[in-house]
Order: sequence, then structure tokens, then C-alpha cells
Amino acid sequence: MGNDVELLAAVTDLISREAKLLDRREWEDWLDLYTEDAVFWAPSWSDEENIIEEPQTQLNLLFLEGRGKLEDRVFRIETGDSYASMPLDRTVHVVGNITVDAVKGDEIEASGNAIVHSYGRHGRQTSGNMYEFLLVLDGDTLKIKRKKIILIDDAVAGPIDIYHF
Amino acid sequence: MDGAVFDRDFASLVDDRVPEGIFRVDRSVYTDQQIFDAEMERIFEGGWVFLCHESQIPEEGSYFATEIGRAPVVVIRQKDGEIRSFINACSHRAAILTPRKQGKARVLTCRFHGWAYSCDGHCVRIKEEGEGYGEDGFDRAQYDLTPVARTESYRGFIFGSLVEEVPPIAESLAGAAGWIDLMIDQSPDGLEVVPGSSTYTIHGNWKMQMENSVDGHHVSTVHRVFASTVRNREERDGLTGLAQTEGGRIVGKVPSGAYDLGNGHMSIWAQHTTPERRPVYKRKEWLETNLPPGKVDWILNRGRNLSVFPNVALMDNPSTQIRRVRPLSPDRTEVTVYCIAHVGEDPEARAARLRKFEDFYLTAGMATSDDMSALEDTYLGSRARAARWNDFNRGLHSMVEGSDEIAKAGGIEAVTSCDSWENENLYLGFYRHWRDMMTAG
Repeated sequence: MGNDVELLAAVTDLISREAKLLDRREWEDWLDLYTEDAVFWAPSWSDEENIIEEPQTQLNLLFLEGRGKLEDRVFRIETGDSYASMPLDRTVHVVGNITVDAVKGDEIEASGNAIVHSYGRHGRQTSGNMYEFLLVLDGDTLKIKRKKIILIDDAVAGPIDIYHF
Repeated sequence: MDGAVFDRDFASLVDDRVPEGIFRVDRSVYTDQQIFDAEMERIFEGGWVFLCHESQIPEEGSYFATEIGRAPVVVIRQKDGEIRSFINACSHRAAILTPRKQGKARVLTCRFHGWAYSCDGHCVRIKEEGEGYGEDGFDRAQYDLTPVARTESYRGFIFGSLVEEVPPIAESLAGAAGWIDLMIDQSPDGLEVVPGSSTYTIHGNWKMQMENSVDGHHVSTVHRVFASTVRNREERDGLTGLAQTEGGRIVGKVPSGAYDLGNGHMSIWAQHTTPERRPVYKRKEWLETNLPPGKVDWILNRGRNLSVFPNVALMDNPSTQIRRVRPLSPDRTEVTVYCIAHVGEDPEARAARLRKFEDFYLTAGMATSDDMSALEDTYLGSRARAARWNDFNRGLHSMVEGSDEIAKAGGIEAVTSCDSWENENLYLGFYRHWRDMMTAG
């Protein structure tokens, strides 16, 4: 990661790859992008302008601490026993506007946006998601230590899961 | 309202022949636009509707914007601490008065033409009043906000009615009042809505959501995957204490029950196999010191779901929820959920309560999402007119009149009781009340 251009390319590649693995349901490879202590966090809105900031005292749409909680989701999907997950919605993530916002030692803060279009038995929806990532160098590999997803819509249409974020 | 709607024979939609072991409801109650229109007028705009919790309007001028049926309303805390509510529309040309769902205002100023109202509903300013209406004999009070006919709090849970002729809320809640008491009495300093919420829409009818909130029969099928997922997690990560989930009720045969609480209110309970995993367990000592043993047993050892007719469910399980239901159309329902918790709760218990909420309840949770999918399927199935009836017959042979011994121990007044949460006695009360409201007057 010798310079800004290379770093941005590496970050963009990781975020794009994550989206692709979710859309292709390559769960094991998707999980491999995350560190053991990863946090996957979708805060709820506290009012029209503000999202909640304190997950230990405020309600989130999703707050998964540790990669194990992501593995739970994959486990649930793969049982075939989850009403909402059988059959799975199809999704397409289009990610963009990716920027590297800060570099602190091995840790990189990056952000971007995603439009996630999904289609399933009960209809289709499109959601606008803002991403904030904390990435970390694990040896030579860039991994996701935190993914924060802000859904701009107040109302979510129908059930959603990790692959809608 | 089109007169044709009320010429319909709504009573015939409920096939009520319990002595013959038959209680059925015509599936068109979920799908028919005319029935929906009549429900808005006769049920939602014709009786008590849950609005919000008092902690959501903590100070003078705090407001909470919501709906009663199709009518936007705003609930406002008054100078004296009282709570009033008004139609949330400018008296002049009907613009909504609150820019936000929740907020605080000294006066409510219409952003269209600048008219302003005090928190007690008086019109206090009309832009260019003298120029527009003359100085002589003009009575600004004619433009005061239209009050919601009745606004009452049941121990912090605020309800409103657009019609004057309803009994006090405590009386209307019937057996649901004792059930709500179990939620309130467990906290020494009262309850509060935790910041943050989630709103979602379901492709299904509002009554399906009210039914599902107290449906014990689906738990061991729809939610066994929740139980297996968290069991797998607990074994993998070696979790202990509050980090574990209370899954015993989902998979196992545990003592349970179902009650028709009167006036369309319904409830179910199931025994916890591991009550020590619930945040409320941190209050065990206080509860045992301050409440009668029967109540303590109900609070600590039984997971409870309550459906308050027509639009709110209150859950007191490993986590605790207010689920407010807003019908949008026959086939679309908006649901907003809040976590409600003890004021001054121990931080570890509060965090555990939130994690359990997110695990189970939300649209991205591992149980509510499955409920929503099942419910949406029942909507699709209900469109078949060739297969007309929904059965609510399960357990009618074992139904007993009044409260069973377990209910009595907690001060619960039931119309009928069943000793299994899989039974459907509770829906008799719901649909009889629905029928009575739809055919009244």
C-alpha cells in the first residue's frame, strides 16, 4: 500500500468484493473478509436527522459483535428452516462513492454508499445504504473490522437479513 | 362513508357456533377494501387506540405525532403535566402541524400560512388577522385545534379515542390491565422507551399482525430455527449468563396458557426454563421483597405476550417490546417497535435486553423476520374465495370460563382460559369484539 492511489484501489476492491460475495451467496468467502472481533452494525434513527450512537444503551436494527454473530446468520440461512430465508431473496449491491477517510497505523477508515435492490416472493425493494468501514491490515490482507450501515429509509418493507445491508 | 358499506352483513363473517365446536372467520376480513374502510370508521375511529408511552413526551411541550385510524393526531404534554391530544392539522387549511414525529415546541406553528397554536390547542396567532378578518367581533377561538375526544393514560400507556362515548381506558382494557400491571410493577422506578425504534411494513392485514403477536401455535415450527441458531452459538462461543438466550420455551413442551381478556384483548404465556437469562432476573430480590409471590412468579418465570385491541402488542419475554400496528390498506400494515425497559436499569441488563431484542424481534431479527414471511403467506392464501374460512377451533373442548388458577395467582381476570398457548380460545374474544364493533349502532 505504497501510496494513496494503491490504497484506494485496495479499499475499493475489498468493499466491492464484499458486495459481490453477498450477492453470489458465497458465505464462507464473505465471512473470511471479517476479522474475528468484527462488528456489523446498522443503527436505527433516533429522529429525522440523527442516528443512534450508543449501541449499549440504544436500539439498533442490527448489532452483531464478533464474527460468530455473522456465522449465526449464515448458519440460519443454510438450515433451510428459516421462513424468511427459504427461498432467499435475490440481491444486487451497487457500491460507489468510496473514499479513504483516515489512516491510523494499520487501521483505515473508509466510507461509501450502496444501492441494494432485492427481489423475492413477496416483492421487490430498493434501499439506499451509507457505509462506514473500519479496515485493518492482517498480514498482507486487508480485512473488515467494522461495517456500519445506515439505512436512509425509515420504514423497511418486509424482512431483511445481512445480505440486504 | 358510502352507505353501501354498512348495508353489508358483517356479523355473517364470523361463524360463531362454539357449542358445535365451530368458530370460523371469513378470510375476506383480511382482503376486502369495504371491510377495511368500515374498520377504520367503526373500530379505529370509533374507540380507544394506543398512541404512545408517557416517556416519549417527557416535558412540557413535548409532542408525539401518530394516527388514530386515518386521522393524524398529536399528543402533547401540558404545562401542568397533563397529556392532551389534538387532530394534527391546522384549523385553517389542514397542513400537518408537527415537522417531526417527536419533538418539543412552545407553540405549534403551521408552516404553510404561519398560524400558531398553544400546546393546549388554542389558536394564538393568525397572520395578518385584522387585515384578513376585520376587527369587529372576530372570534379567533373558532380556530382552536380540534381535540381528540378522549385522551387517557393507563399507568403511562396513553390511549386516545375520536369518540366521546367510550368507557374509561382502565375499564376498556378489562383483563389486559392486570397483564400491563405485571410489566409496570416489576420496575421500582417505572418504565421508559429506549431511544431508537424500527418501522416496517408487512404485506398483510393488520389483524394478522395482532393475531400473530399472541400465536403460540407457530412458535415450535417457525422459531425452532431461532432456537437451533442460538444453541449453536452458545455451544460454539461458550456463552454464560445474560449472553445466553432463553430458548427452552420455543423447542420444549413447557407449561403455557392462553387467555381471552375481554374487549378483544388477548394474551399467551409460556414457562421459562432458564429465567435467570432474562434481564428482569436482576430484580429478583427487589421483586420478592416488594410484591406478592404470585405476581413475582408471573413476572420472573413466564414469558408473556399481550395483544391490546386494536393496535398494540406488549411483549415481556427475554426482551420487552411495544409493537404499534397501523393499518395502511387491507394488504399493507405498518408496524413500529420500541424497546421498553426499567428506568435506572443495570447497564449489563440494559445491554442484554437490547441484544435480545435485536436478535429476535426486528425485521432483521432472527424471529420476527420469519413471522413476517409467514404472515405475508397467510395474506396471499386468504385471497382464495373458493376456500373461505379460517379456523379458530383449536382447544375449544378444553376451554374454561373465567380465570384458571394460574391467572388468579397473578390477579389476571380472564373471560376464558386454556392451559396451552397453542389453543385458540383467545381469538374468539378478538373476533367477537371485532364483530360487535363492526355491527354496533
